[in-house]
Amino acid sequence: MDVKLINPFIDAFTTIMPQIGFQNIVRGKVSVRDKAANSLGVTVLVGVTKEIRGNVAYNMTDETARFIASIMMCGMPVAAFDEMAQSAISELSNMLTANAATNLTALGIEVDISTPSLTIGDGFTIKISDAQYLVIEMSADGHNIEINIALK
Amino acid sequence: MIDLKKIRVLVVDDSRMSHAMMDGIISRTNFEICDYAKTSAEAVEKYQIHKPDVVTMDMNLPDADGLESSKRILAVNPKAKIIMVSAMRDASLMMQGRAIGISAFVQKPLIANELLDTLCMVCQSDEDSLKILEESYIKTFIKVLKKNLFSLAGVHSEVSYALSEESKLEINGIAIIIGFTGKPIGRSIIHTDFDTMNNFARAILSRQIDEKITEEEANECMEETANIIAGRSVSMINDIFKDRELRITPPGIIVGNNLSIVNPKLTTFNIVASTKLGDLKMNIGFAGGE
Repeated sequence: MDVKLINPFIDAFTTIMPQIGFQNIVRGKVSVRDKAANSLGVTVLVGVTKEIRGNVAYNMTDETARFIASIMMCGMPVAAFDEMAQSAISELSNMLTANAATNLTALGIEVDISTPSLTIGDGFTIKISDAQYLVIEMSADGHNIEINIALK
Repeated sequence: MIDLKKIRVLVVDDSRMSHAMMDGIISRTNFEICDYAKTSAEAVEKYQIHKPDVVTMDMNLPDADGLESSKRILAVNPKAKIIMVSAMRDASLMMQGRAIGISAFVQKPLIANELLDTLCMVCQSDEDSLKILEESYIKTFIKVLKKNLFSLAGVHSEVSYALSEESKLEINGIAIIIGFTGKPIGRSIIHTDFDTMNNFARAILSRQIDEKITEEEANECMEETANIIAGRSVSMINDIFKDRELRITPPGIIVGNNLSIVNPKLTTFNIVASTKLGDLKMNIGFAGGE
């Protein structure tokens, strides 16, 4: 997969997260993976079609998911990752991918995105590609989100 | 179903030619033009007077653009149904339009069928949309599912389906998620337990019942089955509705126990194909409305 395709996702993260109330956005390491990813507890899959196709999976712990949902809901405490929090995280994944899609369009690559599917559970795996794909670790106010990107 | 009461359309456009074209298309249908507005201010005023069922909104008006004018109408009635009419089919314009609550887009020059289809679609109640989803989409998937389970694994299946009441889908085993883009967006999930998956994989690969099968082989069989079913269903739907431009994303494969998959904003149907190899389940969801 082409490495230039990851910048639109990094830019989306650094643009959107401050808009929903995060201050300190840090870009972590980028690595390559060719096997199924182990979920950290909450994983949201968003599909991509049109000029390039693939999947993006946002992977995070239950604690991070609750923390982000709480920030998105203006600081309301989120003790359990309930329906409202799940909806917030789905919406965030949608916003991040839609913004990345706009950034891709700016590079001359038209894409459409599908609806986010959020999976919750312990010890599950998620495979988004048969080939090698890229993993970016991003953090927002100390909470890590692993973005798995398989596009071609 | 659309009843016999005419559906009233307010046409917002500053060009006389557009009025005449719109009238030519809409007369002799179940729609009627209740009035024309030539400016943004007039549009808001006439919207309040007539309370039309639907508004067609040109992008370029002398006093404000179509987006701004739509915002003003939506401020009066957040449920107002507005169709944007524009010469440009500009993605960012459409995105902005969608964000403020515009229901649909048609391009100029107006094509009769396209305009009428869009008017029908926008004016359908939720109940009608559900019926269309069921008749045109879900039943197509079921037909394709049955046919392909037979051609891939040589099994007959009894298929039942129902509208799902839950936004959460329980998974124990494997789930193959394939997204849809186009109109409407959505996703399909084929899922089953590990025993059924292995049975299907053996049947697909023509292995004996006691022969070994690797996890990877079994996963790949499910992935390919899901891909074929989603792909063929979507091409059948595209053949029926020429304007849907449905596309499928590559599959995402989830493996584990006691998982739930959540899609908060979808209307979903649960489909179960009972076979002698076990139950293969499918959950298909589309975003509401369009």
